[in-house]
Amino acid sequence: MAHRRFKTKARALAALAVAGGLALAGCAGGTTGSAELDGTQLLTIPREDKSTFSANFNPFSPNAMPMTQQAIYEPMFVYNPADGSTIPWLATDWVSSEDGMGVTFTLRDGVQWSDGEPMTAEDVAFSFELQKELLGGFEYLESVTADGAEVTFTYNTPFSPGLFEIGEQVIIPKHIWEGIADPANETNPKPVGSGPYTEVTNLQAQSYSLLRNPNYWQPDKQKIEGIQMLAFAGNDPANLATINGETDWADQFIPDIENAFVAKDPENREFWFPSVDAMIHLQLNTTKAPFDDADARRAISMAIDREAVTSVAMQGYTHPADCTGLSDSYDTWRSAEVVESCEWTTRDVAGANALLDEAGYPLGADGERTLPDGSPFEFDISVGSASSDWLSVANIISQNLAEIGVTATVNAPDWAVVVAGYEDGSFDSGIVWSNNAPTPFQYFRGVMSTETVVPVGEQTFQNYHRFGLPAADELLARFAASGDEAEQEAVMDQLQEVYAENAPIVPLFPGPRWGSYNTTRFTGFPNEDNPYAPLSTRSTTTVLVLTTLEPVVSE
Amino acid sequence: MQFVLRRLGFYLVAFWVSVTLNFLLPRFMPGDPISRMMSQSQGRMTPEQVVQMQALFGLDDRPILQQYIGYWQSIFTGEMGVSISRFPSPVSEVIASQIGWTILLGATALLIAVVIGNLLGILAAWRRGGALDSILPPFLVFIGSFPYFWLAMGALYLFGVILGWFPLRHAFSAGATPSFSPEFIGDVAMHLVMPVTTIVLVSIGGWMLAMRNTMITTTSEDYVVMAEAKGLTANRIMLRYAARNATLPAVTNFGMAIGFVVGGALLTEVVFAYPGLGFQLLSAVTALDYPLMQGIFLTITGAVLVANFIVDIVYVRLDPRVRVS
Repeated sequence: MAHRRFKTKARALAALAVAGGLALAGCAGGTTGSAELDGTQLLTIPREDKSTFSANFNPFSPNAMPMTQQAIYEPMFVYNPADGSTIPWLATDWVSSEDGMGVTFTLRDGVQWSDGEPMTAEDVAFSFELQKELLGGFEYLESVTADGAEVTFTYNTPFSPGLFEIGEQVIIPKHIWEGIADPANETNPKPVGSGPYTEVTNLQAQSYSLLRNPNYWQPDKQKIEGIQMLAFAGNDPANLATINGETDWADQFIPDIENAFVAKDPENREFWFPSVDAMIHLQLNTTKAPFDDADARRAISMAIDREAVTSVAMQGYTHPADCTGLSDSYDTWRSAEVVESCEWTTRDVAGANALLDEAGYPLGADGERTLPDGSPFEFDISVGSASSDWLSVANIISQNLAEIGVTATVNAPDWAVVVAGYEDGSFDSGIVWSNNAPTPFQYFRGVMSTETVVPVGEQTFQNYHRFGLPAADELLARFAASGDEAEQEAVMDQLQEVYAENAPIVPLFPGPRWGSYNTTRFTGFPNEDNPYAPLSTRSTTTVLVLTTLEPVVSE
Repeated sequence: MQFVLRRLGFYLVAFWVSVTLNFLLPRFMPGDPISRMMSQSQGRMTPEQVVQMQALFGLDDRPILQQYIGYWQSIFTGEMGVSISRFPSPVSEVIASQIGWTILLGATALLIAVVIGNLLGILAAWRRGGALDSILPPFLVFIGSFPYFWLAMGALYLFGVILGWFPLRHAFSAGATPSFSPEFIGDVAMHLVMPVTTIVLVSIGGWMLAMRNTMITTTSEDYVVMAEAKGLTANRIMLRYAARNATLPAVTNFGMAIGFVVGGALLTEVVFAYPGLGFQLLSAVTALDYPLMQGIFLTITGAVLVANFIVDIVYVRLDPRVRVS
C-alpha cells in the first residue's frame, strides 16, 4: 500500500545516495600514502598566522606572503645569532670606517636576478633609496654610492651598529622597481629576486609553492626541488599537521613537544629551541613610586624564583637570565666579570627582605610592606591573556613577591589593551619583550637611554618603563662612533656594568626561538650540535637552512 | 507592484542603517592598527619599523564625517580600498579569493540541513507519535546542543586521525590545481564531507522541529480531511497538500540563513583549516583592519538584505493570501 510504496522509494533513494557517494570517493583518487621518495618532493612548511594566502610578494610590506624575504629576496650578509657568526651572502666583504661614519661593501661577482639580468651595485643603491622613500628609517644614512662592484654607505652621524641594519636589508632589482608607479601598493604577484626559490607556482588560498630560481648564484646549493607553504587558521590545526608528519619543518609553538611530536617517531623528529630571541623582562614603570628606587627594583628581582619560572611556566625550554640582561644571541658580548660579581638575579628572599627594610619599606604587623608615605606596597602585573606561558610566569612572580610582603596582582586582559597601557605609560608593571638586533646596542638603548624616554601619556614603542641614564647615553654614543672591535667590546663591558649597577628593568629569561623538524623527507637541519642557523622559517637565517637541506631519496 | 516597491523602500532604509552601524561600531574599539600589529609581533618588530608602518599604511585621520562620506563613495564605486592586515592586497581581492570556498561550504551545509531537516520534520509530523517522531527530534536537538567546536574536533580526531577515512584539512589536496575534472571535484567533495557533516549535525535539529510543528498545525486543517475523504493517497496529501503550506515559514528562515552563508563558518574554518571569510573577519577585527572589516561587513549586509528581498518576492508567489491582502 502507500506505506510499502514509500518504503521502496525511500530505499531506492538511499541506495542512490550511497552509490553516488562511493563514486565520488572513487573519483577522488587514491591518497599518496608512503610514496616512493624520488628527491623531487617539496619542503612543506605550515603557517599558522596566515589563514589564507593571496598574491602579495611585496618586500616592503610587513604582511607579505611567507618566504618573500627569505627565499625570494636576499640580503648582503646573514647574521646567525645561534653562534654569533656573520655569513657573507650577496656581498663578499665589508669594511667599516674607523670613526663609525660609514661602511663599504664589495658585491659578489656573477649574481643574476631570476629573470637573467645581472645584479649590480646600482640595485643595492636603489634598494636603500626606495626603502627610505617608502618606509623611512635609516636616518643616519646620508648617501649610498655605487662604484663598480663596491657600494659605499656614508652616514651623517656615527652609528657603527648600522652595519647590521644595512647588511641585512633585502636587495631588490632596480630594473623592475623603477618602472613601478606605486611601489608601496604593488602586490608584486610575479616577483623577480636573487634568492634560491623565486618561481611562484600554484598559488591557492590554502597553499602555494616556490620552485627553483633558474639563475641562482649558488646552483649547487639548490638541492631541494622547492618549498610548499600551507595555510592554517591558528596553532592547533598547524600542530595537528606537524604531529601527523605532513610537514617537514615547523616553527610554531607546540606544547609538550617531547610527547606530542618527538615521541611519535624519535629517530626522525627533533626540536631545538636556542634561547636567542629577545630577553623577556618584568618591567617596572619607573615613573611610579617605588619603582624609581633602584633598591626596590633589585629587591623585587631577588625575590623572583627564576628556576621555577623557567622550569614550570616555560616548561624547561629556557634558562634564567643573569645581571647583564643579555639574551643568548649576545654570548660573544657577555662580560664574565659582571655575571660573576652581580647577585640581584639570584633568588635570595632573606636578602630581598633585608634590602627592603634598609631602603625604608617597613614590614607591617600584617606581613605587608608599605611605602615611606604609608601607602601599601602593591601593584599590578600586566600580561596578555593569550600568552598562557607568560601568564604562568606572572602568577609565579606574584607568589614569590608575597614572600617579601609585596602584593602583586596579575591583570590579564587582551594583548592590545596591555600594549596600549605600556605605550602610554599608564601600567604598573608587566611582562615584556625587548629589542633584539645583532649587537646589544639597541637592547641597552631601549632599556636605559634618555633618548628613548618619552613622557607618560605620549605613545612610544620601546623603553615603556621610561628609564634613562646620561652615563648610558655617553657609552652608547662611544659604541656608535667606534669602528674598532676591541673598543666596542670594552664599551659593551662598561654598559653591562652600568646596567648591573642600576637594574633599570628586571630580566627574567631569554626567549626561546621555536623550531622543530622531521628528517623523513629532508636532511641537513641545524640543531644544537650543528648550530649553523636557528630553526626559524621567518627570519634572515632561513635562507641558510634552505641552501643546506637535501632531499631523501628512497632506495 | 506596489508591494514590491514598498518592500524595496524598507530594504533601502535597512541598508542605510546597517551600513552606518558597520562604519561606526569598529571605530568604538580602542587602539589603532599599528599598535595592534606591534602587540602581536611581541618584539619581533623593531620600534623603528612600527613608525615606518604608520607612514606606509597612510592611515586615515580625517574627521569621522569625511570618512563616513568617503565610505559611501567607495560603496558606489566598488573600490573598497587596501587592506591593512594584508597590505597591500586590495580588499576586493582578499574577499574575492575566499568567497568561493565560503559559499561552497555554507551553501552545501545549509541545503543539506534544510532538505533533510524538513523531510524528517514532515515525516515525523505525519506519523505523529510514531517511532520517528518520538526518537529523532529530541536526539537531533541533543546533538545540536553540543558545542560545535567539540563536535568538530571529535569528528576530526575519530574519522580523520584514527580511522583515516577523510582528509584532515583544507579544501582540496595540497598541490592540486583547481579544475572541473572529475578527480578534482571528487577531491573537493571528500574534503567537504567532515566540515559539512558537522555543520549539518548541529543545525538539522532546528529545521526538523520547526517543520514538524508547522506541519502538525497544517495537518489538522479541514482541507486535509477533505483530501483524505476524497480518497487521495497518503503520500500525495502529505507532500502536495500539507507540506506545501507548511514550508512557508521554512522559506523565510531559509532566506535569512542564506544571507549569512557569506559570513563564513568561523569554527569550521579553524578546526578543518578550510579557507573562508569567517576567520578572515576575525583576524581583521583583531588587527583593527578597518577597510577589510568594512568590506566583509558590507558583503554580509548586502547578501542578507538581497536574500531577504528575494524571499519576500518569492513568498508572494507562493502564498496567495499575501497577494490578496
